[in-house]
Amino acid sequence: MKHSIHTLLVAAALLLLGGCMKWDYGQTEEVTATGAGLFVLNEGNFQYGNASLTYYDPETKQAENELFRRANGFRLGDVAQSMTVRDGIGWIVVNNSHVIFAIDLVTCREVGRITDLTSPRYIHFLSDEKAYVTQLWDNRIFIVDPKRFEITGCIECPRMTMESGSTEQMVQYGRYLFVTCWSYQNRILKIDTETDTVVDELTVGIQPASLVLDCYGKLWTLTDGGYEGSPYGREAPALWRIDPERFAVEQEFRFRLGDTPSELQLNGAKDRLYWIDDDVWQMEVTARRAPVQPLLASRGTKYYGLTVDPVRGDLYVADAIDYQQQGIVYRHAADGELLDQFYAGVTPGAFCWK
Amino acid sequence: MKRLFPLFAALLALGPLAAQTPPTEGWTRRVHPIPEVTVYGRRPLKEIGVQQTRFDSVALKENIALSMADVLTFNSSIFVKSYGRATLSTVAFRGTSPSHTQVTWNGMRINNPMLGMTDFSMIPSYFIDDASLLHGTSSVNETGGGLGGAVKLATKPAAAEGFGLQYVQGIGSFRTFDEFLRLTYGNERWQLSTRFVCSASPNDYKYRNRDKKENIYDDDRNIIGSYHPTERNRSGSFKDLHLLQEAYYNTGRGDRFGVNAWYLRSNRELPMLTTDYASDLAFENRQREETLRSILMWDHLRSDWKLGASAGYIHTWTAYDYRRDVGNGTMASMTRSRSRINTFYGRLEGEYAPSRRWLLTASLSAHQHFVKSADKNIIAQNGDKAVVGYDKGRIELSGSLSAKWRPTDRFGASAVLRQELYGTSRTPLIPALFLDGVLSKRGNVVAKASVSRNFRFPTLNDLYFLPGGNPELRKERGYTYDAGISFATGKADRYRLSGSVTWFDSHVDDWIIWLPTTKGFFSPRNLKQVHAYGIEVQANLSAALARDWKIDLDGTWSWTPSINEGEPISSADRSVGKQLPYVPEHAATLSGRLAWRSWTLHYKWCCYGERFTMSSNDRTLTGRLPAYYMNNLSLEKSLSLRRVDLSVKGTVNNLFDEEYLSVLSRPMPGIHFEIFIGITPKWGKKR
Repeated sequence: MKHSIHTLLVAAALLLLGGCMKWDYGQTEEVTATGAGLFVLNEGNFQYGNASLTYYDPETKQAENELFRRANGFRLGDVAQSMTVRDGIGWIVVNNSHVIFAIDLVTCREVGRITDLTSPRYIHFLSDEKAYVTQLWDNRIFIVDPKRFEITGCIECPRMTMESGSTEQMVQYGRYLFVTCWSYQNRILKIDTETDTVVDELTVGIQPASLVLDCYGKLWTLTDGGYEGSPYGREAPALWRIDPERFAVEQEFRFRLGDTPSELQLNGAKDRLYWIDDDVWQMEVTARRAPVQPLLASRGTKYYGLTVDPVRGDLYVADAIDYQQQGIVYRHAADGELLDQFYAGVTPGAFCWK
Repeated sequence: MKRLFPLFAALLALGPLAAQTPPTEGWTRRVHPIPEVTVYGRRPLKEIGVQQTRFDSVALKENIALSMADVLTFNSSIFVKSYGRATLSTVAFRGTSPSHTQVTWNGMRINNPMLGMTDFSMIPSYFIDDASLLHGTSSVNETGGGLGGAVKLATKPAAAEGFGLQYVQGIGSFRTFDEFLRLTYGNERWQLSTRFVCSASPNDYKYRNRDKKENIYDDDRNIIGSYHPTERNRSGSFKDLHLLQEAYYNTGRGDRFGVNAWYLRSNRELPMLTTDYASDLAFENRQREETLRSILMWDHLRSDWKLGASAGYIHTWTAYDYRRDVGNGTMASMTRSRSRINTFYGRLEGEYAPSRRWLLTASLSAHQHFVKSADKNIIAQNGDKAVVGYDKGRIELSGSLSAKWRPTDRFGASAVLRQELYGTSRTPLIPALFLDGVLSKRGNVVAKASVSRNFRFPTLNDLYFLPGGNPELRKERGYTYDAGISFATGKADRYRLSGSVTWFDSHVDDWIIWLPTTKGFFSPRNLKQVHAYGIEVQANLSAALARDWKIDLDGTWSWTPSINEGEPISSADRSVGKQLPYVPEHAATLSGRLAWRSWTLHYKWCCYGERFTMSSNDRTLTGRLPAYYMNNLSLEKSLSLRRVDLSVKGTVNNLFDEEYLSVLSRPMPGIHFEIFIGITPKWGKKR
């Protein structure tokens, strides 16, 4: 009996020594984002909170991963959606963390944050004291004060409820701001930035997401056409050219039903469009017809993000692979030649030039 | 024919209307005699070659606050993935996914037909009288689709004599209140039981949030410092109510009838992620569920054959609401999702034993699901309101034939043929073969082996969910082999030592996985080929150490590589040859009970090895979750008074206050406590 109890005590002691989960969180290090490089925003997996920030220097061809966490000692959050640079500060919109972080572009250290957002998607700056934040699942565009990191007001969007609300990318043209309405929407809103009100809207195809402004002052958007079985309808996706002056559609380039175009981008000169539709495609903004041959053919890749170096003209395409591992970013010359590649974080989806 | 009666007595012991055990009588007394070692020659024909883990009533009835997720965590080698306390808990059985584990309750499959999986946190262990795991191949005896295995849950008659009452109340940390009440009535023919469980808590446990930092600002909003905040689990409250009504009637002439109705009502908030910067006052994220599971059973027993029939109905209503305060306290709906599932169930089974060496069985079951899912309210292009969702039904038929043969006391063989039809799609014949043989009578050393093919159909969400459902999905296909050896030895009322080691190897092709699309939603695809293999070890020791002293030790350990062996998606794909995300390679449990007179000390320990969150097994900060060890301790004192039995029990969970994560960004509670008081009146009983 005595021996048995003794054995039990030893066993209990061993359990005590079982150790605890080892945490390697919280440590910070000095990081430096050198040169005029490229930030890659890795979306991460929804509900995992594993979004991250990568920086790539085109000169040195060096990529640094997990910059935000390494610089700040905590995680970027859940679903990093977009990043915008203004006056040496990078503004990272983290959708499902309901936050926008402001970071120093060199040290990547946080300088402030805006919270209490619904489901932020993009931020657009109107001045040092005023910016707009678009949202999903909200019929309001928030007005924020970037200096005070505070929400100061909102713009109610017409014909949306909270549940069906979705405002997406923004482009400014003079005093007006144009906003795509994406999820279960088919409109582009025109907002007077002086009165913070929606003054007009234009119906395009189903679910416009991307929005850019070319060198001729024309707006371009891509509609994804919805999906099969959607009660909102389904149609062939399309590329639309819009005259912002008249706020009217000038031209429409239809894709085939079932195509999945996304990530509309412009080159530095803003005279050439690029987008992903399984492959990577390009088109002159003056073209009369849509291209029939892709610039970069898919090679089992899951192209998920796209950008063009505004100075060199190189093309950067993010491949999410299986969305559960570090994605890879391919750097191509304008003619399609592969120049470099580097692994980023999970689901690299958005880019931002420093 | 008389010689067949012991055989059928053993067979019936496995059935839903089976042997009448007294689970409630001993709640306050805790008398658990050391059982006699099962003699090899008496092994039931039904269990030839079957790899099974059975949970004893002590594990199931240890305390009223436990869910089946807790029982599985500390008493089995399967990995329980928990999203938090009283939050979704799923299992990974032999390296597979949660939907690869089939779950039956009194023979009726209760996996959610939309999701394919079962939330074990919603099953109170106090409602389960008989639970067992059927590992891999062995699940084919019970149901199809269990590529990992099956969890078999059942209720049993209470063996009450006259009226009985048991009431237990638990009060614990985080203002947790647990109530359990059981009323029983029984006589020679009838057994009636009503069980009630209610659990509620704000569940706002504190934890150090290492995924965030709070900033300290100066007057100009410049950051002058930061720290990891100590937060409370936000939006984690729950209120669960379960009611189980049972009635059994035994004609005494070989017919038994039973009816079970289990109603559950759950109202749970979904806890916020550690990386969420929203205020829990500004957002509401809530899931409600009402489920009724009911089943009517009939067993007709004759000397050499048995017929069983059952019919059941399941209704599940689920509501998910995501709302936010738009100012002035008005909560506006961002997502309002509703789903209704109606399932009608029927089963016929028959057994025939032409001799004591043979048993032939046949079964046919049908589940007819009707699902209506409304996930989002939108405004259509014409301005009308519209709903995103689907309204589908599916009939699921599963039939099996088996022949079990034991030509000698030392050897047994069993063959099962199963076929399933889901809608208009059917599986080929699913064969399963089981063998066992006694290697040594001394120590009851038995070797077992089995092999089977298996299939799993896509769930209704896989096929029809909007947006993303993929009607073109193929069913998952698998092969499983396992072999093992077990032993049992001991002396009645002195000690009992048993154990087993099992090796398994399985391949699953066309593994279904949901992936993002460029349109902003997820869609399932048949993507992976997975090779899962490994070793499972179980051991149990019960011993009477001295007069009034008794000890029980149970241990499990599993080594479960679960490897992606598919073709690389592209040249950059680094997931091939790697362990699947969220499947630990190692898992172990140890449970020890030390009883002295009316005192019982219970120690539970479990360990889950490192888990990867990325398919490439990167060891980045968020790419892995470190191993963790969990320790729970309880001490119970029973008092037998003249008119009532009383018990007082104190539990300490997470004894060493370990900070750990089961899933990324989901905080888990540190050390917490609960006290239980149990009362069982001795109405009309000999005192």
